Amino acid sequence: MLWLKMIRDLKENKGSYIACTVIIILGVLIFTSFTTVVESLRSSQQKFYKDQNFADGFVKVRGIPRNEIKKLEDVEGIQKIQGRLVKDVTVLMPGARDNNVYLRLVSVDPDMQNPINGVLLIQGRPLDEDYMNVWIDSKFFKANKLKLNDEIQVIADGRIRKLTVTGVGDSPEFVYVLRTAADVYPSPETFGIAFIPVKSMERLFPDEKYYNEIVFTLKPGTDYEKVKEELEKRLKSYGLESIIPRSEQMSHMLLEMELESVESMSRAMPVMFLSIAGAILYITLKRLIEHQRGEIGILKAMGYTSGEILFHYMSYALTLGILGGLIGSFLGALLSYPMASMYRKFFNLPDLKGNFSPSLIFFGILLSLSFSLIAGYQGCKKVLALEPAEAMRPPAPTHSRKVFLEKIGFLWRVLTVQEKMAVRNLSRNIGRSLFIFLGIMLCFAISTFTWSMNDLVQKMMFDQYEKVEVYDVKITFSRPLHGKNVLRELAAFHGVKYVEPMAEVPVTLKNRWLKKEAVILGLTRNSYLYNILDRNYNKITLPESGIILSERLAKVLDAEVGTKLVVESPMRAGKEDGVLEVAGIIPQYLGINAYMEIGALQDFFNQKDIATSVLLKVEREAITPLRQKYMYSKYINSIEEREQRLNKFKKMMASYGSMIYIYALVGVTIGFAIIYSSFVISLSERARELSSMMVLGMTPEEVLSVVTFEQWCISVPAIMAGVPVSKAMMAGISRFISNDMFSIPENLTLKSLFLALAVTAFSVWIAQKAAARKIKGLNPSEVLKTRE
Amino acid sequence: MGEVSVEALRGVSFELMEGELLVVLGPSGSGKSTLLNIIGGMDRPSGGELFFLGTPMHDADTRQLTFYRRNDVGFVFQFYNLMPNLTALENVLLSVQIARNPLSAEELLEKVGLSDRKDHFPSQLSGGEQQRVAIARAMAKNPRMLLCDEPTGALDYKTSIQVLKLLKDFCDIYSKTVVIITHNTAIARIAQRVFHLKDGRLDRIEVNENPLPPEKVTW
Repeated sequence: MLWLKMIRDLKENKGSYIACTVIIILGVLIFTSFTTVVESLRSSQQKFYKDQNFADGFVKVRGIPRNEIKKLEDVEGIQKIQGRLVKDVTVLMPGARDNNVYLRLVSVDPDMQNPINGVLLIQGRPLDEDYMNVWIDSKFFKANKLKLNDEIQVIADGRIRKLTVTGVGDSPEFVYVLRTAADVYPSPETFGIAFIPVKSMERLFPDEKYYNEIVFTLKPGTDYEKVKEELEKRLKSYGLESIIPRSEQMSHMLLEMELESVESMSRAMPVMFLSIAGAILYITLKRLIEHQRGEIGILKAMGYTSGEILFHYMSYALTLGILGGLIGSFLGALLSYPMASMYRKFFNLPDLKGNFSPSLIFFGILLSLSFSLIAGYQGCKKVLALEPAEAMRPPAPTHSRKVFLEKIGFLWRVLTVQEKMAVRNLSRNIGRSLFIFLGIMLCFAISTFTWSMNDLVQKMMFDQYEKVEVYDVKITFSRPLHGKNVLRELAAFHGVKYVEPMAEVPVTLKNRWLKKEAVILGLTRNSYLYNILDRNYNKITLPESGIILSERLAKVLDAEVGTKLVVESPMRAGKEDGVLEVAGIIPQYLGINAYMEIGALQDFFNQKDIATSVLLKVEREAITPLRQKYMYSKYINSIEEREQRLNKFKKMMASYGSMIYIYALVGVTIGFAIIYSSFVISLSERARELSSMMVLGMTPEEVLSVVTFEQWCISVPAIMAGVPVSKAMMAGISRFISNDMFSIPENLTLKSLFLALAVTAFSVWIAQKAAARKIKGLNPSEVLKTRE
Repeated sequence: MGEVSVEALRGVSFELMEGELLVVLGPSGSGKSTLLNIIGGMDRPSGGELFFLGTPMHDADTRQLTFYRRNDVGFVFQFYNLMPNLTALENVLLSVQIARNPLSAEELLEKVGLSDRKDHFPSQLSGGEQQRVAIARAMAKNPRMLLCDEPTGALDYKTSIQVLKLLKDFCDIYSKTVVIITHNTAIARIAQRVFHLKDGRLDRIEVNENPLPPEKVTW
């Protein structure tokens, strides 16, 4: 019978219980789906890395003779070391003349057993070093609708060559395929990896006698830094450019980042959701128990034990917990399939799939149960303390005294009687008021935060390509060239309006014990095509000497204006490490760079007139002829159009945008659930009081005005309190996810504040509509007839 | 403001007989409800002794009191106190569920004349009907005694007589002890013994050699 009573009680107050269950479902859903995906990602990552012998270290050099590699094997701690030639080539895709499509050719030795970064062949046949054949990574293969035995035309060393696709394979090194760190998202249509036998590579590039990359694995327990030091010494003479550990390898780093963020989401979000659900449940049950004091008394008088009664009230929490846990974990398992397939789009990981894991479903239910039972127990434990005779008497009246506002005479006199009632209610039910306050604050903060995130990610992307980099075309050379000659030639090309040289030099910057690898961009003093902007978008003129750092770089190096940085670089031919003074710090959201005036940079590195790329302002129609003329040049690595890059980002943002809408929706749902249930709770708590007002002759509208006035009194300060809370959330997330590739600004956008205000006000308004309906439905005689 | 201790009952000493119908009379504040609560194990006396069939109940713990109420006592209240969202039958079953040796809920509802209204919720029943459900609920556990606190206090004359008749029947047919608390002196005439309470003291005990059947009582 008590179960029947429970079910009917639940039905009576279905609004708040449904809200509570929905939030439990969301929490458990996130837990199950994210955990499933994380587990799948982790296990396929680990298996892939282990099976394919993923490298521990990655070295870039100008060129090292092949037979020198073997000698490096005696470096202490190194397990295995391999050299290779890596070259980006332009692909001539039929029907895509204007699109820059590139392949990164990575030389492999088809005969080697268990090579480092071994390629997992998914379909096709072994590579044959006597032919021009390649294996293509699965994403590029699919995105470009290739088939086995298709021929791909590439421009290598200035000539068109044909490569036959004999297989599709993925390497642990290219799980997340980006051409450069600035790309942020993979674009398999325009960039992919091709694995090619060393011998075939030699025929493509007859001039390249040397390897330009080295990969190595470490013996267990080896100190990477020691190996790095030793390699630095030995490789200095081969033009060492960089040595990075696995943790800084781009694909690995991005995969780890994603994993960490999903992992922390899978922990933090469910806790947040379930805590909110717990709070709603706690308040609802606490209220229910106060409301059913008399009924509890009867049950006790009849001889029901406190335990039985406690269990009865806990059964509400139990029901919601099981229901929410079951639905949530089941939906979560279902959601893990589309989520895994979304990750498959970005990551080249074998065996990545969703899963119906019974143990996770069990844990999901357990999680939801533990939260709801704890909340339920806290809400119900008063049952235990009630003596039967006492329970049957109405509770002692609460203390009444003047509230703060009453002391401000003129203000108090302005209020109507209804408003005075509302104000007194607020201060006498601190717990209830606080719950509503927190609900509105959270709703506002979550909405502000999600919208701000959305705005800022957009800003981060578009600032870079709309305000900072304003050239039409960037031509990157395959090796540093003399700027003057190139500029002269390009400036004379028909349709080119303006040309600027640019030098990109990889360096290691050091400040005391802090050091960081970065790229210094050398730009003309008053560059028109690459703007150095301060926080307020004012253009900064590059100083004649000294270096300008991006904020993130300055932070990592703990540098300020005036700090002297030691600069290490293979480009500083034959000279000791130099010192550069920080002349300024600017915001930069994409990548971490340092900037110098190109002349100063050339002097510093003692490389007269050097340029690694040029920036051009070109008439639109001239771009295709320009590309056709230069794409076969062996001096040119790539010809990029800013417009295309921007469009690519816009496309990406559109698909990521939907994720943000989902987050925003979740935020709003939570906020709304809290606001709605807290309103409904406070309303049913006061059915008696409100009925009395109606009996006195007040219209439902007048009665409602007491409730709404009270709610607005809480809403306004709660919204104001939401601003610093969302700011704190923003700062937290910015610190958490900013890395070398992008840093997220910490500020809130005005637009998001307005949007959040609208969303919150809307939720409050809807909740009040529900309140109005409830008040109209009140039957005063019915309510007042029964004993309190 | 400190708490003021109020002595509701002092120097009250009596025995209850099996199968008797007893009325406790007294004006408001005379300690009737406190007495009932103590007899029924709802409250503990701050001093004195209470025995039930030889078992001391005055120092019983909460659990003992709960099982005493569960097995040996049935309560009927002035304001019926039915579970508002359980039907008449379900309210009775609530009590059947925890009893060791319950009576049939359906039969009891028939006895109180409500078998055709058994699926109605309390809000759909009149006061008298609700009180009859409450009595059926109290009797369903088949307790040794029925304690009734102003059972007719909220009812009109005709309905009150019906209720009293039910209580009397329970006492006679099942030979159970029934204690009725009231401030209505007319009701005292159906009892075998009447306790007069005044200012928390047992003023006098009146023995009624010829109790009237309820239908003969008027006020």
